[in-house]
Amino acid sequence: MATTRTALSRAALALYGMAAVTLAATASSAFFLWARHASPGMAVAAALPPSLVLGAIALASRFLCNALPLRSASRSSIAIGHAGSAAAASGLWVLTWKSWVPALNAQIATQHLDPDYSLLFALGVMLYVAAVAVHYLVLEIEALREAEDEVLRYRVLAREAELRAFKAQVDPHFLFNSLNAVASMCGSRPLEAREMAQRLADFFRLILRLGALERITLAEEIDLVQRYLAIEQVRFGDRLTTHIDVDEGAAACMVPPLLLQPLVENAVRHGVASMVEGGTIDIKATLEDHMLRIVVDNPADPDRTDARGEGIGIENARGRLSAVSEGRAMLQAAEAEGQFRVVIELPR
Amino acid sequence: MIRVVIVDDELPARELLREFLAADEDCEIVAECANGFEAVKAVAQHDPDLLLLDIQMPKLDGFEVLELLDRSPIVVFVTAHDEHALRAFEVHALDYLLKPLSQERFQQVMERVKRAAGHDRQPVAGLATSLRAKPLQRIVVRGEDGAIQVVPVSRLDYIEAADDAIRIATSGTKLRKQQPISAIASQLDPDRFVRIHRAYVVNLERIEKIELYAKDSRVAILRDGTRLPVSRSGYQRLKELL
Repeated sequence: MATTRTALSRAALALYGMAAVTLAATASSAFFLWARHASPGMAVAAALPPSLVLGAIALASRFLCNALPLRSASRSSIAIGHAGSAAAASGLWVLTWKSWVPALNAQIATQHLDPDYSLLFALGVMLYVAAVAVHYLVLEIEALREAEDEVLRYRVLAREAELRAFKAQVDPHFLFNSLNAVASMCGSRPLEAREMAQRLADFFRLILRLGALERITLAEEIDLVQRYLAIEQVRFGDRLTTHIDVDEGAAACMVPPLLLQPLVENAVRHGVASMVEGGTIDIKATLEDHMLRIVVDNPADPDRTDARGEGIGIENARGRLSAVSEGRAMLQAAEAEGQFRVVIELPR
Repeated sequence: MIRVVIVDDELPARELLREFLAADEDCEIVAECANGFEAVKAVAQHDPDLLLLDIQMPKLDGFEVLELLDRSPIVVFVTAHDEHALRAFEVHALDYLLKPLSQERFQQVMERVKRAAGHDRQPVAGLATSLRAKPLQRIVVRGEDGAIQVVPVSRLDYIEAADDAIRIATSGTKLRKQQPISAIASQLDPDRFVRIHRAYVVNLERIEKIELYAKDSRVAILRDGTRLPVSRSGYQRLKELL
């Protein structure tokens, strides 16, 4: 933030300074003309040097504005800070007038200037306030732009995480093994083979459709998971049992798509598949106090060899979850006594 | 007649192999196994000519099964994972079938099997050990009674050489395995297991302390009180790690 705030280009600052000087000069010349004290030439000649001083002060007031940001500094400290600074700036401006006007009067015999310094002081304060107002306006615009950049950056991050997750979504060996099961059933159980082919196609179509969405209901995600498990059921037979319990409130919650599917795939691949006798995958989702809680339980052989893949799957899920929830969600994975458990907590 | 044992943890996969084999008059299925334990038992019992072996299976994977065999049938791996292909040939598997299986490819492989059957084959067992993924994550042992033990290396206390075999000490018991100590020492994670002596490899986590017991000779005392000799070069290796 600070870097971009001070990174306002030199050209912009120069422009701002010139504008401030012109404003101050115009205002004070007008002041003389209005008071019929002087010719236009004399008025401008008198106004220019003090205006240069005030222009420099106006430019410098940017530092004070930076130090007293509208959003975070207290109202009183902003008021006191700028009141003091305005008095000092205007005092300096009047001082310049006071030393410059007698010198000018001495040079030019035909006209004599006798400005009302208290009025000039008031004008100085007004000009200072205008300068500060412009600074705050610019800072505010910069902050807005910064916030937009932030949102954009965050979106890109979320997209990337999504893409990574999507790539890791479905293990190609799941497809190879399932196709082998289809091939196997073609001979003896052609109707079942046809059904399995259909299920596979539906599953992949659903993955593509849901994956393209920003958010889906948990009910939709659970439907996907059930389709996946139904296919695995054909391969694993009695070794795989599943138990899914989702309460009504939880089913209606919005979740990032394909959040659960890779975790359930892990539960099959590294969990049930690692057990000779197989086991049960237990999925529970509840909504309590605006907190969606999803728990996936499965048995896993503590001595299984390939533990790398599952770690990546969980890391991906965690990354995506924090990207979509801005860090408010939590994913925990723990293993104890042959049971593997993943817990997700996502504020509604 | 080629006598075949089919090993796959998925029923549909076994059914497909069964169907392909049924079309071949020269083949006879003597056993179907759903896991590695059954496979080791079936090979010991039936002494088949051909083992059609899946790789990813619970508890014992295909490579571990090979390590435990005391006979050497022709081995053809059947798997969806082509990343294992190279290792499969290194363990002298005859061939390698990818899922989903192609019948044409299956028939070609069976022709090769028939040509190879009857010839003397390089024994598969033993060789498999040296080609398992490194570092070793678990050790498989077959007891005198045929029972198979799978020991994760984290549960290993130490290994001692006994002639051309080793004894694996794990939670108070010792398991004997026919394998030179140098072979297993080279496969264990060098950051966790140290060869402290010609005849001993120890799990670093088990060491309580090292004591000097005579000039230039030391002894490692394990948490359970076991005392193991430490040679001079073994002590050097220990010092580098600790």
